[in-house]
Amino acid sequence: MKQFALIAMLAVIAAALPLFIGENPYITGIMISVLMMAALSSAWNILGGYAGQYSFGHAAYFGAGAYTTMILITLYNLNPIFCMAAGIVVACIIALITGSIVFRLRGHYFALASIAVAEIVRLSVLNFEFTGGAQGILLSDLSLWGLDLNSKNPFYYGMLLVLVVTLTITAWLRKSKTGFYLQAIREDQDAAASLGINISFYKNRALLISAALTSVLGSLYGLYIRFIDTSAVLDLRLSIEIILTAIIGGVGTLWGPVVGALLLVPLAEVLRSNLLGDALVKARLVSETSGMGLFLKENLAHAHVLVYGIITVLCILYLPKGIFGLFRRVK
Amino acid sequence: MIRHLLHISHVSKHFGGNVAVSDVSFSVDEKQVFGLIGPNGAGKSTLFNCITGFFPASSGEVIFDNKKINALRPDEVCRLGMVRTWQRVKPLGSLTVLENVMIGAFSITSVTREAEAIARENLHAVGLMDYAGKLAGLLPIGLKKKLELARVLATHPKMLLLDEICGGLNPTETDIILEIIRGIRQKGATIVFIEHDMKAVTSICDRIVVLNSGEKLAEGTPEEITNNPDVIAAYLGGGHNA
Repeated sequence: MKQFALIAMLAVIAAALPLFIGENPYITGIMISVLMMAALSSAWNILGGYAGQYSFGHAAYFGAGAYTTMILITLYNLNPIFCMAAGIVVACIIALITGSIVFRLRGHYFALASIAVAEIVRLSVLNFEFTGGAQGILLSDLSLWGLDLNSKNPFYYGMLLVLVVTLTITAWLRKSKTGFYLQAIREDQDAAASLGINISFYKNRALLISAALTSVLGSLYGLYIRFIDTSAVLDLRLSIEIILTAIIGGVGTLWGPVVGALLLVPLAEVLRSNLLGDALVKARLVSETSGMGLFLKENLAHAHVLVYGIITVLCILYLPKGIFGLFRRVK
Repeated sequence: MIRHLLHISHVSKHFGGNVAVSDVSFSVDEKQVFGLIGPNGAGKSTLFNCITGFFPASSGEVIFDNKKINALRPDEVCRLGMVRTWQRVKPLGSLTVLENVMIGAFSITSVTREAEAIARENLHAVGLMDYAGKLAGLLPIGLKKKLELARVLATHPKMLLLDEICGGLNPTETDIILEIIRGIRQKGATIVFIEHDMKAVTSICDRIVVLNSGEKLAEGTPEEITNNPDVIAAYLGGGHNA
């Protein structure tokens, strides 16, 4: 009950935030990214954190949502809600095919197969014609079914809603038979099976919940950016960022992925917009015209994945339960 | 009326060319405490794995409660009412003791509150109530064995298969576990018991099967077994495989 109350309280605070920030598209954009990554990572966490099945291919479900929605809207101008539902169906079909084959195996096969499936989806989308191939899909209409795509606030609230739903499902899972069974599978599959747990059934259930939520986020992302291509929504890099956010925040905890996203997304933004390089130049630590200054300007902006990597290594070494695990230890 | 709850007929298990269990047959009656003994490598644990669905038997039949269960998965076998413990204990390490036992209880209820009540009952029965909130991975071995017992009891089984539940325990701990098992028996469960410790087995079992090198060497009451020259040879050496 405590967790549900906390989710509701934070949701109300997050819902009120845009009122204080006003019309600042840059800040709103970053906040949307934080909410999206928090929700993506929380959805991944249901499968990876609770059931212990590390998916390295969640981009496939994100892309399934994004592509299904964008194709249906550009071709048939269907209601966005219907498109999202169709996206969920496509993502669940991919998940069911993957899960029903791979979850029979033990060990790391699911992790490997999830990469393979995501690559199959990416390469298929890249080579089919109806998906726009390498050109991607551009949505030129600026209003859809009464939704003003120029405004960012609807997407802020959309992402927030999916995050709240994901966290609520996670909090409910932790108190339910399914959640306990997933954790038993994570801890010891033989013990779990001997106690009456149908292992592949529960793994598939976790994968389906996770894939469906991820797909909705993909649909929202497509409508929000109004342009998608394989490098934006189906890339391995996206899958890795989802995992790193969860690991750094705290795998298998309710709030870990949210903490991870709150830290990493703004950090990535700082690196991407080269605020760090600019700060070094402004502080006169490096001259703008020197080799070092040019190097920073050219390259540091692309280094955010490297910084993620370094933080992950430090986390694994010093905070094996993630940043959220540290909070709990201090308490 | 006494009836066979478990009937094993001509069960064999090969791993490639290795014969781990060869043509073993026996029956366990309802409410019996049945001992399965034999030296290391006799095939006792492999036989347990065949019965509970972890490795399907290469040939032969396993019949439990009038159903053929050869081809069932371990979880299906458990839900039919036959549940096992592990020689090397398998606590769900990062869950609490109470949660471990709740996971057993979830096989008979889907309501969390009921599962918790069943779990507490069984923790009480094995004397682990004081440890309910502790992480299972941090318990010492004696308590982990008790946890294994509480967890399988929470599934309300008709038949318990205990794989060296006293292994690695000191005599005092062994006595405590045997006392718990006598309690379980009084409540009407049937027990099959793998054990090395002859004293533990003879003090509690109604009937015993001795395995040696995958084959059934002898079957009988504890007295018959302790006086059987073949069994003495297998255990004390003096035979071909000393």
